[in-house]
Amino acid sequence: MDFLVLLIATGLVAGATYGLIAIGFALIYKATGVVNFAQGELVMLTAYIGYSLAGAFGLTFIPLLLVAVPISMAVGLVLERIFIRPMLGEPPFAIVMVTVGLAVILRGLIIVVWGSQPANFDAGIPTTVIRLGNVPFYPAQLIMIAALGLVVLAMWAFMRFSRYGIAMRAVAANETAALLTGVSVSRIHALAWVLSSGIAAIAGMLFAANFKLAPDLWFQGLKSFPAVILGGMDSIVGAAVGGIAIGLIESLSQGYIGEGMREIAGFIVIILVLMVRPYGLFGSRDIERV
Amino acid sequence: MLTLTNLQVLYDRSIQAVRDVSLTVPKGKVVALLGSNGAGKSTILKAISGVLGQEDGEVIGGDIRFEGDSLVHAAPRAIIERGLLQVPEGRALFATLTVEENLIMGGYTRSPAETREGLERVYAMFPRVKERRKQISGYLSGGEQQMVAIGRALMGRPRLLMLDEPSLGLAPQIVETIFETVLALNRDTGLTVLLVEQNAQVALKAASYGYIIENGRIVLDGPADKLAANDDVQEFYLGFAAGERKSMRDVKHYKRRKRWLS
Ligand SMILES: Nc1ncnc2c1ncn2[C@@H]1O[C@H](COP(=O)(O)OP(=O)(O)O)[C@@H](O)[C@H]1O
Ligand SMILES: [Mg+2]
Repeated sequence: MDFLVLLIATGLVAGATYGLIAIGFALIYKATGVVNFAQGELVMLTAYIGYSLAGAFGLTFIPLLLVAVPISMAVGLVLERIFIRPMLGEPPFAIVMVTVGLAVILRGLIIVVWGSQPANFDAGIPTTVIRLGNVPFYPAQLIMIAALGLVVLAMWAFMRFSRYGIAMRAVAANETAALLTGVSVSRIHALAWVLSSGIAAIAGMLFAANFKLAPDLWFQGLKSFPAVILGGMDSIVGAAVGGIAIGLIESLSQGYIGEGMREIAGFIVIILVLMVRPYGLFGSRDIERV
Repeated sequence: MLTLTNLQVLYDRSIQAVRDVSLTVPKGKVVALLGSNGAGKSTILKAISGVLGQEDGEVIGGDIRFEGDSLVHAAPRAIIERGLLQVPEGRALFATLTVEENLIMGGYTRSPAETREGLERVYAMFPRVKERRKQISGYLSGGEQQMVAIGRALMGRPRLLMLDEPSLGLAPQIVETIFETVLALNRDTGLTVLLVEQNAQVALKAASYGYIIENGRIVLDGPADKLAANDDVQEFYLGFAAGERKSMRDVKHYKRRKRWLS
């Protein structure tokens, strides 16, 4: 029983990480129709930026967030302007290839700037163990789960009630019609990158605080792919639920089936999902009606 | 109010969709632009709204002037803010958004207060739309979708409204309701209307002046009643037999005629 509870707890923490990263993917995909293959690298870059900021100013977690998230958003804006904006109007495939190139560039850049050695980065979070019932948690684990909840809530409200959020959904639904209502489609694309980078910073710093900060952090982007697909690519709530589901599946299969399952369980799930529901559990099938 | 002079539009740097179009839409009038499928009607509206770039189209000649100023290089948003709005062909709603969200998007360039007031006006005009305001717009019937599309454009507070084939695929009764609403706006608020249609019969009844476009060129224009009475128009565009004409040109036109009937 304890073993099961422990597996679930581990799964929830890993799942919250996947969920947060997957939301970043979903935002950009929804607004721009492009799968951003540099999402994992964006998570890694913003984690390193947070690491430097924390080191320079000795910040605890909340102040660190307040500084690192806006700076990461600015970084996202700059990256979009340099790499993505010039590609506006090109076929999605070409833009996806640009994100692949961007991913490789960022990986190299991070080693150049911060070196290849792993670092300890607690993100200003205390490390005293907290017990919930009889399950021990590190504060960073609980914050990861809470962060996923808060980000989902914030994004849901943004998409539902803010005019920019509604405009983002409108652009996703029909770009030309959005232009005809006065929306600047390129600005909405940039906004998606900005928000996605801010969420990447939260995910990256919390991942580093839970595990370690190393130049292989980008791999978490790939590992979040099953969550993105399970959630349906363009759904924020879907990405979060997909993340939690994949985290739990990985953890439980590792615990009950055997060593190594953690690495492959998620990908087995997506292959099954793609066969049964190609648009994911929450994704929008195109509504067709005249 | 709106004047096109010798407009030419090219797609993909190779396909000339509009070859030579000059037309005038006077303030407060309803002007019809008639032509069969592929004649270049939608391209003209996209050029006016400044959204040709979306499809790799480009104005390569001529001018579009609205109240004296050229719109050829204006951004879509600037064109909307001047009061030029379009209801695109096939409705083009944001299918995954609710009806009300579609309307709110229509007020994107307007203040929150104007948007709120606009919603009330649209709901008063189309009670059916109000009933369905919480529904996902993609699941509405064609007629309801057309009402939402018109409502969305009205939210932008148009002074000149362009309608791209509003009758397309709709039952005659619904077409009538929609035309009545638009004509009432013209009558009561002085809204200027550029009405694009394949359905010449309906359009010439609603408009005071009409242009007929074929293969990217205006081939005929005149007051709507004169156009409707014109032998050529009657024969080829309204489907009346008028005398004997047996030239090759007529044979060619005859093939086209079927598409004109509706
Ligand atoms: N995006 C596009 N790319 C290339 N050619 C186009 C495009 N859109 C329309 N055309 C061509 O331009 C011509 C006019 O099209 P359109 O303006 O849509 O006609 P209409 O609205 O009168 O039916 C047609 O021959 C059509 O094939
Ligand atoms: Mg058309």
